[in-house]
Amino acid sequence: MPNASSVRSPAPTALPHLPRSVPLRIGLGLLLVLLLAYPWIAPGGYLRYAGVLVVMYAVLSTSWSMVGGFTGYVSLGHAAFFGLGAYATGIGVVTLGLPHAAAFVLGVLVVAVFAAVAGLAAVRARGASFVIVTIAMVTMLSLLAQDMTWLTGGSAGLQVPGAVAGISRTGNHALFFYLFTVLLLFALLTWWFIDRSRYGAGLKAIREDEEKAEALGVPTTAYKVAALTVSAAFTGAAGGLYAMWFGNLDPIFVFSLVLGSSMVLMALLGGSRYLLGPTLGAFVVAPANEYFLTQHGESQLHIILSGALLFVVVLFMPEGVIPAVQRALRRFRPQSASIREQTQQELHESRGAAT
Amino acid sequence: MPSLSLLAQGLALGVLTGGVYALLASGLTLYFGVMRVVMVAHPAFLFLAAYITYFLHAVTGMDPLLTAVITVPLFFLLGVGIQRVLVARIPQESLAMMSVLLTFSLALLIEGGLGYVATGSYRSITVDYATTSLHLFGVAFPYDRLIGFGLAAATFIAIFAVLRLTRLGKALRATIQHPDAARLVGIDTAKVTGIGFGIGLATAALGGAVLSIIDPFFPAAHWDYIGKLMAIIVVGGLGSVRGAAIAALILGTIEAVVQVSGGATEAGLMFYAFLFATLLLRPQGFFGGRLAERF
Repeated sequence: MPNASSVRSPAPTALPHLPRSVPLRIGLGLLLVLLLAYPWIAPGGYLRYAGVLVVMYAVLSTSWSMVGGFTGYVSLGHAAFFGLGAYATGIGVVTLGLPHAAAFVLGVLVVAVFAAVAGLAAVRARGASFVIVTIAMVTMLSLLAQDMTWLTGGSAGLQVPGAVAGISRTGNHALFFYLFTVLLLFALLTWWFIDRSRYGAGLKAIREDEEKAEALGVPTTAYKVAALTVSAAFTGAAGGLYAMWFGNLDPIFVFSLVLGSSMVLMALLGGSRYLLGPTLGAFVVAPANEYFLTQHGESQLHIILSGALLFVVVLFMPEGVIPAVQRALRRFRPQSASIREQTQQELHESRGAAT
Repeated sequence: MPSLSLLAQGLALGVLTGGVYALLASGLTLYFGVMRVVMVAHPAFLFLAAYITYFLHAVTGMDPLLTAVITVPLFFLLGVGIQRVLVARIPQESLAMMSVLLTFSLALLIEGGLGYVATGSYRSITVDYATTSLHLFGVAFPYDRLIGFGLAAATFIAIFAVLRLTRLGKALRATIQHPDAARLVGIDTAKVTGIGFGIGLATAALGGAVLSIIDPFFPAAHWDYIGKLMAIIVVGGLGSVRGAAIAALILGTIEAVVQVSGGATEAGLMFYAFLFATLLLRPQGFFGGRLAERF
């Protein structure tokens, strides 16, 4: 199928965005083994806790890139889906008395429905209004969570009992490390399927030129709402796991624009158009964040640092480190075999150079 | 049900607060108009201005409102600089989205910087002429809010007059309507865009001076304003200065009335209720021109 936005190599073995070289595959396999072995390498409470956080952020940034990477619509409000998933799961356990698994499913469903409805409002108007709606979602839900004390516990927080009775703290960390890892693999698989599908091609067409995509017959509104819903469902699932793992929900933390912006930062830093880009970003930013917290504590420097990092990424490498590294590697190769993705701007430039 | 006099009081306060919102929203509208940039850092700059006002007042004993003579030109130049040096670097294709992230990072830098220099505690300036109220028909109009409203109205009229009556205003409006066509008829759109940005940021400087006398402030408070101001400019119609002003007055009034009859949370939620209703019923905004339909 011809694709509006990308030129692919004719070689049938070429899987988009998956490394084809053998050493890279072996390397990725080793990384996966290392990831699965992490709780045994790091038996200590804090290191395991930090490990869970890092994988959680990887899920969040991968989910974010299902909208931000494919359609180019930047959402600053994914914290709304995270928080809603966390609270719905927590309320399911605490107030409704559901088993943890059922509460988790309920949480994901609530988030998906919410995202579909909010998405309809958000994509009615294009571009800027979308960002505004995502910001509004977070501040709105934050207000509600703080106000509805009878349901959410207000600013004192909602205490969610653990999933397994009598499990040790470090055992709980290990359990949720694996649960988050499964969720991450599932999210990556979904990302990969979307990327290869006709649907994914439609989303990328929206990113490159929404008017032309619509003129070519892409049902843009339905596609965008669906992308937002899938992305939100994964974000909400991460929120649900967080609620059961962390056990205490603070409306200020879960519904914060800063949390949403860190998902964006991680995805962009790694490369939101690449399968493993957001994960890479999370594996760099989240440990750095934790290290800084343990060294300097919660301080204003922390905010300054996040701001500075976002500033640098947006201005100097909005495509992320993966294409930057690829470009550097390509210099050492005799000939690059395929051009996978070309942005509109690159296309303009190359055409400008040709004429 | 609150008493009638309480409602009247809420109404009065609401209109006065709405005036200040209008001043702030006019800046946001200008950025969006000239560059299609959603300036998330506008409230952060507002608080930066409030802190500069605070320290100028504390060190030199200057009247907080008089400090605008320093902060307004400073912020104008800063705005021109931000547009020319930072925003203009972002490629056109991704401008709408990446500019939000860029300004978000500026907001974080300002918040963190303010917290680092001035700590996170509350500050406020008390000036003796602003502590009392004007009583009319049994309703109290606090002088600080009256002054804020007056300044906001004056600034607003000035911006409107510049846009409507001057050559620069014509160039600005042309750039807002159609940058390419404006360039074709000989307008230096890069320069005009910078000036538009500068004027936008200058409203934050003035707003900061007003804010410093009407409300206590702390570095993280700018988050509360982001959602409200965004809702106002969408309801008014993105890019319409007049629409933003009308929406600001209406939403400010509704906020205050709901605050006295319902509660603070309900009052805050009003902004989002109107935002979503606008997007579902009339995405181009209720008072906006044709420009808004395209975004």
